[in-house]
Amino acid sequence: MPDGCISPECSSGVQWNHLLANSDQIPGHTWRSKDREEDPDHTEIPDPRTLTDDELKAALLHHGVKAGPIVGTTRAVYEKKLKKLLQPDESGKVNGAEKAVVYSDSEEEEEEEVEEEEQKADGEEEVEESVCTESEKQTAEQTDLAKQESSQAKLPYQNGSFPYLQCFMPSSRLHARPTSNRESKSKWNSRNAVKSSERSRSRCKEIPVGISRASSVDQHSGLGSGVPSGSQSVMSNGCSSFSSQAFSITQMVKEMESRSLISSSTDADRELNVSNVQEHRSQPIRLQIADRMKNQSVYYTPQDSPHKWGAQPPQEPMKDIIKEIFPETGTTPTGIHATRRRPIKGAAQRPVQYGYPATPVSPATLERREMERRRVPIRIQILVFLIMACILYFIYVNLEDICVVLLDSLNQGFDSEDGYSLQAETEDTQVVSGQD
Amino acid sequence: MSTTSQKHRDFVGEPMGDKPVTALSGIGDTLGRKLEEQGFDKASVVLGQFLLLKKDTDMFSDWLKDASGANSRQADSCAQCLREWCDAFL
Repeated sequence: MPDGCISPECSSGVQWNHLLANSDQIPGHTWRSKDREEDPDHTEIPDPRTLTDDELKAALLHHGVKAGPIVGTTRAVYEKKLKKLLQPDESGKVNGAEKAVVYSDSEEEEEEEVEEEEQKADGEEEVEESVCTESEKQTAEQTDLAKQESSQAKLPYQNGSFPYLQCFMPSSRLHARPTSNRESKSKWNSRNAVKSSERSRSRCKEIPVGISRASSVDQHSGLGSGVPSGSQSVMSNGCSSFSSQAFSITQMVKEMESRSLISSSTDADRELNVSNVQEHRSQPIRLQIADRMKNQSVYYTPQDSPHKWGAQPPQEPMKDIIKEIFPETGTTPTGIHATRRRPIKGAAQRPVQYGYPATPVSPATLERREMERRRVPIRIQILVFLIMACILYFIYVNLEDICVVLLDSLNQGFDSEDGYSLQAETEDTQVVSGQD
Repeated sequence: MSTTSQKHRDFVGEPMGDKPVTALSGIGDTLGRKLEEQGFDKASVVLGQFLLLKKDTDMFSDWLKDASGANSRQADSCAQCLREWCDAFL
């Protein structure tokens, strides 16, 4: 800024020159003459630091922010705020749309947003690809299988119509590394379970109601339960329950891999995928087991799925796994194994408990019990009181006679020694009682 | 049932008087030292800053994050603590 300008016009002109010098930074900034001093209130000045306190305050007010006094310490805060207010005006729509992705609630919304998200899938996938590391590829592959199923061949290589992009990694890695799956799986398993659970937990906070409902059902039913959706529910899990069951699932997967995965389940897998897709359009999140089982076969599912709609329940793969883990359970026609869970305390059908453990009692209660044990009951106390009252009444009424009787007996007792003094006393008492 | 910490309750329960800045909820030794370096050596000075920002917890949080490097949780906790103190005593 040139020196030597003292007059107000000059100073404002200087300021405007400075601003105009920055105008090339602003897209669409219109050149204004020096004479118009009221422009700071109307134009969006990009650099709040060049503003005076008053102008900063006015600019904030223009954006609807009532600023307090702009002092040394507060100035920085208000400048930042103004900057924030200036920026979102341009990029507000993008943020809003992304938030719509995160907060999608119902299935209908999902389907509608599916197409929107497809367009954004590329951008977000790139972000996710840059974020995810080597160690996360395994879970990426597994979870991608679910995505592929649900995408229905819209984007066979990518997440596509999957509404929960944040929870999963790009599927392109699946295609790239099919063989190294098994060797490194056991290594990556537990780590991935933790990582994926952490990531999914952190990212899938806004899981739609549908998934959370299903996952809560899964949690209650546990592994191998008889939920109507059968083994599907065993396999499927919401993000919320994913972490809780991740470790057990990991163990199951390890057992699976140690005995060399099932190879015959391509068809079963497809049907599995089909029924999964059918039943879980809102629950695309899958167990690692199912994902691992499919491996390469899943890659074909999007194309095969429409043809094998509602095929026989694909129970074989789950049956084998469950048999390995629970060898004592018998086979059922549907392959559904229902294990009764521990009865919930307070449930209506819990077994009657006749002997309840002694409840912890406070010291005050113990004291009170002791006291009451030793106390005489109140009725007896009243009775005794009444008896005493009667006795005293009789004594009061018949004082004279009683006194005579008592003194005579005393006289007899003391005749030998103090006869005279006693007689004197009796005479006094008789005189007294006579006066009464 | 509030999820405030003991420190929060201790601060909000009585006039701050001459308490140090580390008495504020969310402000530990490190943050307290940083604030003191900037001149905010007492809780009352930080209260002054809070009042300057018109008791706006968001703005105060931002300021605190900038001034002391506090994270979101700490800054929000401190802002909430000051706000409750103001509600009670101001």
